[in-house]
Amino acid sequence: MAAADATRVLFEDFSTSAVRLFYVIAYAAIAVFCYGVYVQIRKYRRGAPAGIGPGLLPRLQSMLGTVLSHRTIARRDARAGAAHRLIFYGFALLFLGTATITLDYDILGPLFGVHFWHGEFYLWFSLVLDVAGVLLAIGLLYMMYRRGWLKPPKLDYARPDRSPADPDYDRSGYRREDWAFLWTLLAIVATGYVLEALRLVWLAGRPSVWHERWWSPVGAVLAQLMRAAGMSEFSGGQWRGELWWFHGLLALLFIALIPFTKVKHIFTAAGSLMFRDPLAAQRLARVPAEQTRPGAQYITDFSWKQLLSLDACTKCGRCHEACPARAVGAPLSPRDVILSLREFANTTLDSAQLPAEVQLDVHGKGPGQVAMETLWACRTCMACVEVCPVAIEHVPIIVQMRRKLVEEGQMDPLLRKTLQTIHKTGNSFGESRRKRAAWTKSLPFAVKDARKEPVDVLWFVGDYASFDPRNQKVTAGFATLLHEAGVDFGILYDGECNAGNDVRRVGEEGLYEVLAEANIGALASASFNRIVTTDPHSYNTIRNEYPDFGGQFEIQHYTTLLLQLLQQGRLPAARRLGLRATFHDPCHLGRFNKGYEAPREILRLLGCELVEMGRCRANSFCCGAGGGRIWIPDPVGADKPAHNRMREAAAIPGLQVYVVSCPKDLTMFEDALKTTGNEGRFVVKELIELVREALTQPQSAPPAPVAA
Amino acid sequence: MKLLVAVKQVAALEEDFEIRADGRDVEPEFLVHDLNEWDDYSLEEAMRIKEAASVPVEVVAVCIGPEQADESLRKCLAKGADRAIRVWDEAIAGSDPFAIAQLIAAVARRELPDMLFAGVQSSDHAFASTGIATAALLDWPHAAVVTQLSYSPGARSAVFRRELEGGLLHEMQIDCPAVLTIQLGINTPRYASLRSIKQAAAKPIELLSLAQLAVPASAVGEPGSLSRVRRMYVPERGRAQMIEGGVEQQAARLLQLIRELAGART
Repeated sequence: MAAADATRVLFEDFSTSAVRLFYVIAYAAIAVFCYGVYVQIRKYRRGAPAGIGPGLLPRLQSMLGTVLSHRTIARRDARAGAAHRLIFYGFALLFLGTATITLDYDILGPLFGVHFWHGEFYLWFSLVLDVAGVLLAIGLLYMMYRRGWLKPPKLDYARPDRSPADPDYDRSGYRREDWAFLWTLLAIVATGYVLEALRLVWLAGRPSVWHERWWSPVGAVLAQLMRAAGMSEFSGGQWRGELWWFHGLLALLFIALIPFTKVKHIFTAAGSLMFRDPLAAQRLARVPAEQTRPGAQYITDFSWKQLLSLDACTKCGRCHEACPARAVGAPLSPRDVILSLREFANTTLDSAQLPAEVQLDVHGKGPGQVAMETLWACRTCMACVEVCPVAIEHVPIIVQMRRKLVEEGQMDPLLRKTLQTIHKTGNSFGESRRKRAAWTKSLPFAVKDARKEPVDVLWFVGDYASFDPRNQKVTAGFATLLHEAGVDFGILYDGECNAGNDVRRVGEEGLYEVLAEANIGALASASFNRIVTTDPHSYNTIRNEYPDFGGQFEIQHYTTLLLQLLQQGRLPAARRLGLRATFHDPCHLGRFNKGYEAPREILRLLGCELVEMGRCRANSFCCGAGGGRIWIPDPVGADKPAHNRMREAAAIPGLQVYVVSCPKDLTMFEDALKTTGNEGRFVVKELIELVREALTQPQSAPPAPVAA
Repeated sequence: MKLLVAVKQVAALEEDFEIRADGRDVEPEFLVHDLNEWDDYSLEEAMRIKEAASVPVEVVAVCIGPEQADESLRKCLAKGADRAIRVWDEAIAGSDPFAIAQLIAAVARRELPDMLFAGVQSSDHAFASTGIATAALLDWPHAAVVTQLSYSPGARSAVFRRELEGGLLHEMQIDCPAVLTIQLGINTPRYASLRSIKQAAAKPIELLSLAQLAVPASAVGEPGSLSRVRRMYVPERGRAQMIEGGVEQQAARLLQLIRELAGART
């Protein structure tokens, strides 16, 4: 069936000068493309070194895996993921198709006289590309439907950090670009099909073309319709000549503009994914000792990788949607921080000459600059980093900028006070060091001093669990559990300092170093096998950041230890509580360190019915206390992330207990429970308290009263 | 041009503390030390004058105290002071504000500043007299409780405001050099990041002895003081007590107490 001479005509009936003109335009388009790529690379190279280690191959593999599977794009938005997949694969096949023609016609043919683009290969090629065009068109049409009719809030570019009167309030330029992108691609696809149909009509008399027309099904249907409408072969040929140029020039224009428009995400997103740091928010970068200006003040203080990732942003709005600060109306959207910096980089770093330093300052309220109110609104909860489909790492960027603010003292007076207090006393409560272990006095047994005698488990208690009166009860409860399970444990007493996790995320790197070094010194002087901590914040920094300071320790969050004790039967079989419960994943335990299962497993062992909130596990919603925000007062009267979360929990019918496993969560949510008027409807409890209840109350006790 | 800022390392009490065996001070192990809050403001005022000046200005912080006072001087260096001087000799221990003023005045004679700033008072002993005594010993004009200051280094006089009772403000002019004691709130002191404090650790702190200042040991310590502490103690606490029991019992007990107290007064 396949005619051996079947192929596609390329320049048939074109005058030599027309063919030359086409090549001139095509090479010009490629030249513009190359120049654009050069300008972008020059821009990135103006950034600081990124300190990317060796191992490009695994990075490449991981990037290809992510891109080909569309794993990150499909997450939490399956439809957008599916549509993008159609566009991606449609576009990729069409691009490969065009590249195949170039390979045959412009390279192998002229150089070696080898031609393969005919016969059966051509026919299958033709079919595949016809299908690819349909895939692409469906994807594009869905995206248009999404932008034009569905209008998800995350695609609204209005900024929480600007007022409607500001010229850059809604970034309408991006909206126009989005539509131009969709329409241009759609026009290229559509004219491609019409062109195919016109060619079939024009060459209907040629058997190698017309007999094989169904290998191009879309074109064939259109051609049948055109002939039915009375189009002659001659007018088909004439129309084909006109449309050929339109289609070709549009496609070349598209290629030329790739480095200058959002289309460049094809490359920048791949680059960003390739150079991603899987612990970007968990393990912040140290400030090099020789660096004279800590943090990021100028756009060139960001690494080339960070500048590249700014260009990877496709404004998909997932970070905007996930951000707890944005959700309560704070002047921060991670998306807008990234876009501002990108625009700033584009206006300052695109020209041949680097402008004067003063023009490179990214701090402020001008176009492209980031205001300190925006930076201080961040909770470093990592929701943005976690959800970004193209591996933009917002949290390190924000913390780097905060480091500069801290150096200049540009922060809330209360935060400044707290940092001074932590420096002076080693804790954020301003209590004397010797009172750190005062909570042990309520216990009927002595807690070992791990500095004086060897222990199996060293318990790093943390500030909130040590000093906050409400949390002290939980802390004593955990000590009792360890004691009852016969765990050989001890604490550091006044040798323990604030672990520094939040101090570091505030941007006070110098103080963090002092705290980390003090704790590492105290831990090194103690003899133990592993660390357990009741504080997810301490857990994160000891686990992920202390190694950079020479502190290598095995550490677990208390939930995994408790689960082991329950499973090994070292704690007596728990009474079934039979409570309807929901579990709040602390950012630093869940999203940061993937500790999702142990607390849930414990709840199951306690016989609780676990009802998940919509936002759980990796998508858990921050209580609002992270990143040092617990030391900065929230604006009076404004909504708070904890309120938002309480409303979410309150929507669970018949909820009895909202379970947390972080001291700061207990503080934040018990407060929010009252202020949102949910007191009496359900209670906030530490998982430790539930375990204690299940173990201490008699088997025959009546079930707890069920709240309405 | 030079501005001399006298600073003190003050002591703050921990929640539980014990009085020293001689009954005249708190046992040192229960004290936490820090730069006096007022001095934070006077140093900041000096730094602002330096930064706004068109001529080079040197800010020198001076502290009378033992080695641990270096910590407070480092904070001053971290915030931008050009030099730090600490004066110490075992004989200085037990000095009252007048004896301390002798030493600061001696440093001033050596440094010849254009202006000397001190805090209105220290947060631990609150004598509010060291600055003023220094002015008297130097025979310089002085003003206390300055809440706003305009002074350009090298000028022959400075204009400042003081807050008086009843919401009144006093605007005054003073000839230089002068001693001004600075009140809280005159400015917003800058934050000394730990990084800058660490960097300040590399800067030298000049240590001056009594001999270098030509101050005899008899002029400092208890012999050189005009006053001395007799005893330090915690007064007997008021009688606060929790009323236990149910609402009715509590109300009854409250009523009984009110009657008792009312009866006691008549």
